[in-house]
Amino acid sequence: MTATTEIEVKSLDFYYNGDARALQNISLPVYKNMVTALIGPSGCGKTTLLRCFNRMHDLYPKHRYEGEIHFQEKNILANGVDLIDLRSRIGMVFQKPTPFPMSVAENIAYGLRLKGITNKSELIGRIEEALKHAALWTEVRDKMNESAYELSGGQQQRLVIARALAVEPEVLLFDEPTSALDPISTAKIEELVVSLKKDVTIIIVTHNMQQAARVSDMTGFLYMGELIEYGTTEKIFTNPDNKQTDDYITGRFG
Amino acid sequence: MNIEKKRKIESFIALTLSGLAAATGLFWLLYILSDVIIHGLGALHISLFFNDPAPAGEEGGGLRNAFVGQLMITVAATLIGVPVGILGGTFLAEYARGKKFARIISIISDIMVSVPSIVVGAFIYAILVRPLHHFSGWAGAFALSIIMIPVVLRTTEDMLSLVPWTLREAAFALGAPYYKVIIQVVYRGAATGILTGVLLSIARVAGETAPLLFTSFNNNFFSTDMNRPIASLTVSIFQYAMGPYGSWHTQAWGAALVVTLFILILTIAGRLVLKWRYKQ
Repeated sequence: MTATTEIEVKSLDFYYNGDARALQNISLPVYKNMVTALIGPSGCGKTTLLRCFNRMHDLYPKHRYEGEIHFQEKNILANGVDLIDLRSRIGMVFQKPTPFPMSVAENIAYGLRLKGITNKSELIGRIEEALKHAALWTEVRDKMNESAYELSGGQQQRLVIARALAVEPEVLLFDEPTSALDPISTAKIEELVVSLKKDVTIIIVTHNMQQAARVSDMTGFLYMGELIEYGTTEKIFTNPDNKQTDDYITGRFG
Repeated sequence: MNIEKKRKIESFIALTLSGLAAATGLFWLLYILSDVIIHGLGALHISLFFNDPAPAGEEGGGLRNAFVGQLMITVAATLIGVPVGILGGTFLAEYARGKKFARIISIISDIMVSVPSIVVGAFIYAILVRPLHHFSGWAGAFALSIIMIPVVLRTTEDMLSLVPWTLREAAFALGAPYYKVIIQVVYRGAATGILTGVLLSIARVAGETAPLLFTSFNNNFFSTDMNRPIASLTVSIFQYAMGPYGSWHTQAWGAALVVTLFILILTIAGRLVLKWRYKQ
């Protein structure tokens, strides 16, 4: 498999509130059409790193990046980057399902309307396509006008994924997408993640090591804000170079 | 005396005192309500709504002028007060979230909610009535809107703050600009709560007399000119109840019942909307 680099993180440091360093000297490539998992104990910085890719931290003043993240050869941490454009190209799915307080169909139409799609028949087609893409269509085809809160947690999470897919992002960020879900819903999301990688590049943060092993091609292990080891999932889980990685993988700490 | 017994006695005393306090409050509330209903029901006649006042001392006539005037003042006050309150609340909860001066404005609004309404009336008198040398419906509407603004503002702020922050992040993550996040996602999540605040704020001002005495004053004739003094139910009740004629007293009771029912319905509607929201 020849891997194209979609995102290249170059000596990234990140500071909360100006001086609390949460990430230190992170460098890693993220390959196109692969699933990259970020693992590590709570507070290791994996979610912080994930939120750098769509510059979610910019919503809060005083948070600061140092270093560079190149997305398709352009530094997205540079001043003057259009965040609206960036976020429509790099989508995100959160830990808890975040359906908007509107109907199932409206939830997906929301992102499409932001992109300027207002033609009704096009909207309907794209909504159906997105729901099929997220393996939710057969379950909600008769509930399109019901409130999204009527759906189960797992369905809500797939709805949110469909919403993110509808705007056709190139990269999709998952922040512990199954930590609030039951095992069956979790399995469905994992299957979905694997099936999506042919269309989008995926970065997934998870505290569940088996999940990382099941879904990802590349794995990065973070600890105390540093990237301890990065490599193919197979290598990280069977023969890591670093002792800390080995200890974490085998459950000796974390 | 063992400690358990002592606690039981203390508990009994506390329960009795708080029960008595509640009963005292309820007694007067029910007394006033039943008095208004008993006297008011007899006065409810179709002429009350469709006739203008009869010349002083004569039987008959109604309070059409006051019903229409009250409606105009309240609607105008709502049209001024609600947008200002909602936009102000939005500013505090969204754009100025967590900032010190937002806290200060919130606290000042809380104080404004409990400012005696007559002070607001005197204030509008000083800035809108005196300089123009005449009372007017607009002045009344402004006075009421000033009472509404802090109520709507604080409810809006509270309701917007209740919308989970992750919902906003989810919208941002789709590439939405902040104003669209607020209008299309946050307002939807807070809509019923804000609506409740609006209904309660209308209920709050619908029964106000003091600020209108200084501003819209009163008018014994039917008028829809907001630039002139205009009749209102509350001021009419005040005037009629103080007047020497029996027919005035009856009509005042009728008007009082209508105002009370109006406020009651608004308040209940507000609660129902809120209840419905939390069921979802």
